[in-house]
Amino acid sequence: MTASALLARWANGPWAGSLRSAAIAAVLMAILMVLPPFLSLYWLRLLTSVLMLAVIAQGMNAMAGFVGYPAFGNVVFFGIGAYGTALAIAAGFGMAPALLVGAVPAATLALAVGPLLLRLRGHYFAIATLGLNEVVSALAANLSGLTGGAAGLSLPLGAGTASDAAQRAYFGFVALFAASLALGIFLRDSRFGYGCRAIRSNEEAAEATGVATLRVKSIAWMLSALLTAVAGGLYARWVGFIEPSLVFDMAISVKAFVMFLLGGAGTVFGPLIGSLLIESATTLAWSHLLKLHLLVLGVTIMLVVLVLPDGAQGFVARHWPTVRAWWRPRS
Amino acid sequence: MQLVAQIVLNGVLLGGFYACMALGFSIVWGVMNMVNLAYGSMIMVGAYVTQLAVLHVGLPLAIALPMAALATFMLGYALQRGLLNRLAERSVFMTLIFTFGLNMALINLNLLLFSADVRSLPDVFGRASFTIAGLSVPYSRATIFAVAMAMTLGLHALLNWTPLGNAIKATSFDPDAARLSGIDVPHVYALTFAIGGAIAGVTGALVATSYSFSPFAGESYTMKAFVVVVLGGLGSIPGAIIGGILLGVVENLASLFLDSGYRDAVGFALLLVVLVLRPRGLMGRRFFAEVKG
Repeated sequence: MTASALLARWANGPWAGSLRSAAIAAVLMAILMVLPPFLSLYWLRLLTSVLMLAVIAQGMNAMAGFVGYPAFGNVVFFGIGAYGTALAIAAGFGMAPALLVGAVPAATLALAVGPLLLRLRGHYFAIATLGLNEVVSALAANLSGLTGGAAGLSLPLGAGTASDAAQRAYFGFVALFAASLALGIFLRDSRFGYGCRAIRSNEEAAEATGVATLRVKSIAWMLSALLTAVAGGLYARWVGFIEPSLVFDMAISVKAFVMFLLGGAGTVFGPLIGSLLIESATTLAWSHLLKLHLLVLGVTIMLVVLVLPDGAQGFVARHWPTVRAWWRPRS
Repeated sequence: MQLVAQIVLNGVLLGGFYACMALGFSIVWGVMNMVNLAYGSMIMVGAYVTQLAVLHVGLPLAIALPMAALATFMLGYALQRGLLNRLAERSVFMTLIFTFGLNMALINLNLLLFSADVRSLPDVFGRASFTIAGLSVPYSRATIFAVAMAMTLGLHALLNWTPLGNAIKATSFDPDAARLSGIDVPHVYALTFAIGGAIAGVTGALVATSYSFSPFAGESYTMKAFVVVVLGGLGSIPGAIIGGILLGVVENLASLFLDSGYRDAVGFALLLVVLVLRPRGLMGRRFFAEVKG
């Protein structure tokens, strides 16, 4: 059998959707890889933060979008990842092991408290994760011997110029973004992801049909924590200085939440779409309406919820027939 | 011993204030299944109205306080009627995220109107205090406690002994049945949110008398209201009192042993423990809302 025949069989098989998404992801990756030489430092930074928030939003999407548990305090993993990585770099670790030092505690925390907190639902789960963030953030702010306390932690400078550092951060986030897309495809198309969505639509029914709900939820949360923590680690290396109020900031979680809602909950590329839209809007607001930027962001959030509750993709799908009917009136 | 007794007493006095504050949050959550993350900003609006009335117009506090309540009552009614009623059928995290956006907008508006300066009302009560059984009670704290308790009793009376209270409870139980019995549900929702707003306004007036505040100070009040409601149990007035006093006492006791930086975290640690062990809160019933689902 030739390669093309094999491909054709795959493309019509049960994995067709995954293949198509993977192809789109590959094209995206190719574009992102060749883009840097054409971008000024300013645009490179903006694109890096778009990718970072897309990753965090995918982490939130994994829990809130696919499993239906609003892990509002997910930023706790970002903070843990940032601190773990920063401390490891300060102790002389290389970048890859340092990222592990950030990610492993975060994933462990998710696995440890998951079985306790994931029995709560709705607001109660949301507030429990928020409480978790407050507690860990207070620890980071007060254990000054370890973390430098509220005064923050400075990282030693990396090698090369500022532009080299910006490029490294960018490619780091491109790689992590690829991983986040893979997680999205996995959660959408795998048996595990099917279990997640069963929990979202009806947890009792899922349990009754044999989904080990608590285990599935805990593992999903761990994956979400892993992604978010590595993003935190890359962020720490990128900005070179972290403090508790910066990396445990609830606004990061909320932004991520709005982004995946806007892009489409429970979709693979939704977080990227949301991140592109919201980051551009906030950057514009920052540079042109400094005194109003909170208002602009707040009103944007309210509009997203009021007008686009099923995300941009859903909005288009809902209104496309109307537009088409208007475009091509029946004779 | 004397020290511990004094700390517990301070905690109880503070707890009364927390209880009052939490009630405005609790009634909205209980009746409409909506967590209002903009609650703290509404408290700040009350504080600013009080400050304007006392400092710039020269009104006595006894008039400024109802004014603050009226202002946030109207703000609450308008917000619910104009915006939040549209979200009544949506999932819980849609309203959560919506009120977060609302909170940002209100913070920004407060910033534009009143600047980011930290403000306070100087010496409304002075530093005078009286003594009971060897324990000192500042007049300011005692007054706040008394007003908070009066509000709590007032809300209890409103909910249990008036037709409006019955309408609110009926709507909370079953909005469809309430509608069929001739209750104007959107109006009742708006009134409920407005009552919650009025309580936020009173809380804000109390905040203005004793604490310094700024547009960003609201969030910590929202979080405290959250903790108290979960501790005490949703929709329970005695629960709010117990939750408030528990939080007040624990926070004050913790300051004996821990660095002051842990003050807020202690409340959240307590919240996590209660959520894990007793998800419905200490006094929670299935009356207003479900914990699970």
